Amino acid sequence: MVKGARKILVLGCRGCVAVCSAGGDKEVKILSAALKLGVKRSGGEIEIDEDTLVRQCDPEYIEPLNERAKDYDLVMSMACGVGVNFVADRCPDVNVVPALNTTFYGANLSSGEWKELCAGCGACVLHLTGGLCPVARCAKSLSNGPCGGSQGGRCEINPDVPCIWQLIYDRLSKQDRKEELKNIMPIRDWTTAGHGGPRRRVREDLLP
Amino acid sequence: MIAGSNLENILSSGTFAVTGELGPPKNGDMEVVRKKARILKGHVDAVNITDCQTAIVRMSSLTAGLIALSEGVEPVMQMTCRDRNRIGMQADILGAAALGIKNLLCLTGDHQKFGNHPQAKGVFDMDSIQLLQMVKGMRDEKRFQCGEEIKKAEPRLFLGCAANPFADPFEFRPVRLAKKVEAGANFCQTQIIYNVEKFQRFMEMARDLGIHERCYILAGVTPPKSLGMARYMKRFVPGLDVTDEVIQRLQDAKDQREEGIDICVDIIKQVQEIPGVAGVHIMAIEWEEAVPEIVKRAGLSDRPEPKGVEPVLISNQAITEAVERAREEAQLELKGELDKVKAEAQASRELVVKEKEKAASEISSLKKEIEAAKEMVSRKEAEVEKLTKELKQAKEALEKAKSEGPKEVVMTKEVKEVQGQTSLTAREQQVLQSLNMGLKALKDVLGLNDVQFEALRRFLEAEFMLQFGTSVSPEVLPSEAKKEIQPAAIEATKEEVVVEEVVKEEIAAEEEKPSERAKEVVNLVAKGNVALHNKDYVAAIEAFKKALEIDPDDEKAKEGLEKARELQVEQMQAEAKMAEIEGLPPCPEEISEEEWKEKWVIRFTARGNVALMKGNYDEAIKEFKKALEINPDYEKAKDGLKRAENREDIYIPSVEAKAEEVKVEEKPVKEEEKPEVEVKAEPEEKEEKKEEVEAKEEKEAPKVEEKPRPKVELKAPEGEGVTELEVAPLSKDEPPLSERAEGIPEDVYKEVCSGVIQSVTIGEGDKAIVVGGETTLPFHTFEGDMPNPPRIAYEVLDSPPEEWPDALLKYYSDVINDSAAWARKCVNEFGAKAICLSLASTDPNGANVSSQDAAKVAQKVIEAVDVPIILWGCGNAEKDTETLREITSLIGDKKVCLGPLTDANYKTLGATAMAFQYPVVASTPIDVNLAKQLNILLENLGVGLDHILMDPSIGAVGYGLEYTYSVMERIRLAALTQQDDKLSPPIICNLGREVWKAKETKLPTDAELGDQERRGVLIEGITASTLLLAGGELMIMRHPKAVNLTEALIEGLI
Repeated sequence: MVKGARKILVLGCRGCVAVCSAGGDKEVKILSAALKLGVKRSGGEIEIDEDTLVRQCDPEYIEPLNERAKDYDLVMSMACGVGVNFVADRCPDVNVVPALNTTFYGANLSSGEWKELCAGCGACVLHLTGGLCPVARCAKSLSNGPCGGSQGGRCEINPDVPCIWQLIYDRLSKQDRKEELKNIMPIRDWTTAGHGGPRRRVREDLLP
Repeated sequence: MIAGSNLENILSSGTFAVTGELGPPKNGDMEVVRKKARILKGHVDAVNITDCQTAIVRMSSLTAGLIALSEGVEPVMQMTCRDRNRIGMQADILGAAALGIKNLLCLTGDHQKFGNHPQAKGVFDMDSIQLLQMVKGMRDEKRFQCGEEIKKAEPRLFLGCAANPFADPFEFRPVRLAKKVEAGANFCQTQIIYNVEKFQRFMEMARDLGIHERCYILAGVTPPKSLGMARYMKRFVPGLDVTDEVIQRLQDAKDQREEGIDICVDIIKQVQEIPGVAGVHIMAIEWEEAVPEIVKRAGLSDRPEPKGVEPVLISNQAITEAVERAREEAQLELKGELDKVKAEAQASRELVVKEKEKAASEISSLKKEIEAAKEMVSRKEAEVEKLTKELKQAKEALEKAKSEGPKEVVMTKEVKEVQGQTSLTAREQQVLQSLNMGLKALKDVLGLNDVQFEALRRFLEAEFMLQFGTSVSPEVLPSEAKKEIQPAAIEATKEEVVVEEVVKEEIAAEEEKPSERAKEVVNLVAKGNVALHNKDYVAAIEAFKKALEIDPDDEKAKEGLEKARELQVEQMQAEAKMAEIEGLPPCPEEISEEEWKEKWVIRFTARGNVALMKGNYDEAIKEFKKALEINPDYEKAKDGLKRAENREDIYIPSVEAKAEEVKVEEKPVKEEEKPEVEVKAEPEEKEEKKEEVEAKEEKEAPKVEEKPRPKVELKAPEGEGVTELEVAPLSKDEPPLSERAEGIPEDVYKEVCSGVIQSVTIGEGDKAIVVGGETTLPFHTFEGDMPNPPRIAYEVLDSPPEEWPDALLKYYSDVINDSAAWARKCVNEFGAKAICLSLASTDPNGANVSSQDAAKVAQKVIEAVDVPIILWGCGNAEKDTETLREITSLIGDKKVCLGPLTDANYKTLGATAMAFQYPVVASTPIDVNLAKQLNILLENLGVGLDHILMDPSIGAVGYGLEYTYSVMERIRLAALTQQDDKLSPPIICNLGREVWKAKETKLPTDAELGDQERRGVLIEGITASTLLLAGGELMIMRHPKAVNLTEALIEGLI
């Protein structure tokens, strides 16, 4: 990505990526140092500036970049994929590249461990499943109970993966809501999950 | 009925269902699918076609399902949610329904992680329950998932789901199944069961939820192919509970595969006992071959006839292509068979050619020998004549001398004179030489062995000794022939004549026979000569006179008469001297009295033997007694006397063939005396007879020792044969079943059928026959009625038969050129109750006789007899239509039966039959469904079932009879027990042609296979009786004896 670039800007984000230790101030410094070393070792020369925005997903923080980025061969965003996109959207002349591989939106189970818990599908059923998402957390996104591969509470695809439907069953049983599982969950509408095209959410009340 | 699939039919009928599994190949070879389908066909009711199981790319389940369907195997198409979204799935569902798929098993699908494309995007647009809902909506509400209406044909599918009783949470499993049923599942197949106990608990819960009442549950089973497979399943296949017991059993087993099958069968038997289990789903993964065995061992092999398994055809081209392909395949498969058959045919053809050549060369050599013999005879005759003349001269001299001096002196003088005449001795030598040569020729001609020949030679030697008074072998005779001449030397001429006559008689069998008159003359002369020889001069004179009355110019008769008269005088003169030595003629001076006596013993014995040979027993006894009077210890005379007293007409056993010939020759003499027998003798026939005799000798020669057959029988097979054809009736002494089964409740052995076989009338008027009408299995008269006995029609060909064995042909040899006469013979002589005229000659691949010509022959046959007639075409649909129509146009509404009607010509011929109200023969390849289909087609056309005879195609014993039997039996059971009226017409069996084309009926008689005719008769008889027991009502047969046997059987069983 950086090949041929003489002067780059490594741009962090103090939002989520900072929380999950992926693209905050600290990570910006580390990446910059690593890049310098790397290029130097391969016999090249590179000038690296470092900066971290409050958030890369709000226009007011991005706008100034238009002017500033003119001095750089490229801008390496350490935000999530949203940040990279937003920069690209807002700054037509800026050559922006991602520094991170955005995987999922999950929870921090413990220090150094994250787990996807929501697919952001736009058709939430958590109220029906005891707050546990089968869309994000079942290998087949099943809606009506565990498949035949559920064994000892584990998912067939990987013994490290719990069967979400076992958990849902257990949870609802505990809540005396087992009966609810007899209801057939209708076929899903995947349009809200991105299959209806890029999603856009508008809140009238907040519109300027 | 939801979709009308076979599986649905089976399950809804309450039958314990069996389904199998077919994994499509990981390639585009449809043969793999076909092969697997064929393995499973008939053993399971439906077959699951997996949809890229374990997420491995395979031929799509829709395609493989269609291929299976084209093989006649009902597919249960599996559909997973992994690879298609709702658009793709609904599209495939529509396509599947359109192409005849009627079962759909709805699955979520294995995760793509397990397959060969783990990087693939798993679609999972919905889960299995939602899929069920969707398809149910399409089917029952005629709406796509989106709610849009399906305007025309909605997919009619019998919906299935899977259930895994061994997955967790266990308690939720029945609930989840209930959800699937709620969503639309009509049946359910479970995960592989090894832990039956757990499955029982699952079923208990399922029953509590009432699932078994709303959904058919099929228990899933899999035979573990090996211990390794069982272990793998136990460890790595999620949701599969392989018990330790199963592992142990496999570990202990000698043959793991066998044990695997047994384990599977045991599980099937256990789950069968569980209430609510409606069937079993056998998943023999990549081991389809095990399924038939499992099904068999589980006692489930009797699968009901599939219903609703019909591939939907796409286009005519596809049909044509399919047919073409099938034909090619069949051809390929048959090629090997065909080659074999061809080779066999070639071999037998060669054999026939060789035999023919052999026979021809034998005939020609025989003819040559006869020529030689004839030549010999004529030469000998000339010699004899010469000799006779010489002797006459001598006699004249004697007469002259007599008038000049006393008798004794003259005698001596004459004897001396004769002795001194070396020229006479030379003539004698010549005569003897000729005789000797003649004898040798005779030996060759008659095929005598050395012993026989020696016997014959000795016999003649005896005669010679009497004439020339010396015991020499003919070989050395010429050199010693100048020996003493007996006082009875004059007789030498007569003796010569007698011997010559005997020889002539012996040869005469091969010679052209004289005209009746001439024959009579010859016979009379022979008679005269015999009498002469026996010194019965009065009789001799009478015979010769008679001969001269017929033919005044017959030299031999004249000569004989003259001699007889002379000798009569001489006898009277000699009589006085005879008394001198114990009633014997005076002993000449040259020899001792002992020798003289001995010669007379031999002479009397020889006379006795001659008489014996002629069958003149009294005369023979007299002669032998005379010999024994002189020498009571003479063995040959004793032996002869014994024979004469026992009326044994054979002189010496080893010469019996010769004796036979003599008898044969005598026969006509007797017949001539009976004018009523004579009538048949026509000049032409004689020519034939001659050839016949020759031919017979060829055939008979090797047989003589085995069984000498009287010639008369062979000459007139009808006379002797007919009595042989008769068959004793079957004993009917056995008490009725009700009596025999006394004490046993009737319902134990009696099974009354509810169906009835159609009665079909063939022919019209008094001679019409009715077949069918029974309400029971063949001859089960204790269970129902069999109002009309099965019938037999004689087959008559429209042209001389080719390649019929002699055992069969001989009964028809006089009529093969005239079908009408043939039919008449069958009716008048053999008592045929029906005739089947086979129009074989019309075959375009054979003689291709025109329909017009064939029709004329048929017309003649129909006019010739009044029994019902079945017209049987050549089997070429087009030509038969043409021929049979032509015939009907000639005979009008005279009732005949037309056949065979096939699916190719049933329309045209069916219409013809309807117009004239003819019964028809509906002919199909051996198959229950094809037979039924043709009946339905005919019925649709308007031909009533009571005008149809079913020809299910017949195989003879050893040529597929078993297959025929089982198909006929199934047809009959369907008609009687399932009231399938479309299969209720009577069955006609055209078996004669099948039997007599079998190689075994044509092979000649030999020690191993026995008599050719007997063999053929039994093959035909057994085939017929088997077919009768299978349900055949009308048999078409050929051999009269076989027909009689079969009729006796019918008579005895009814």
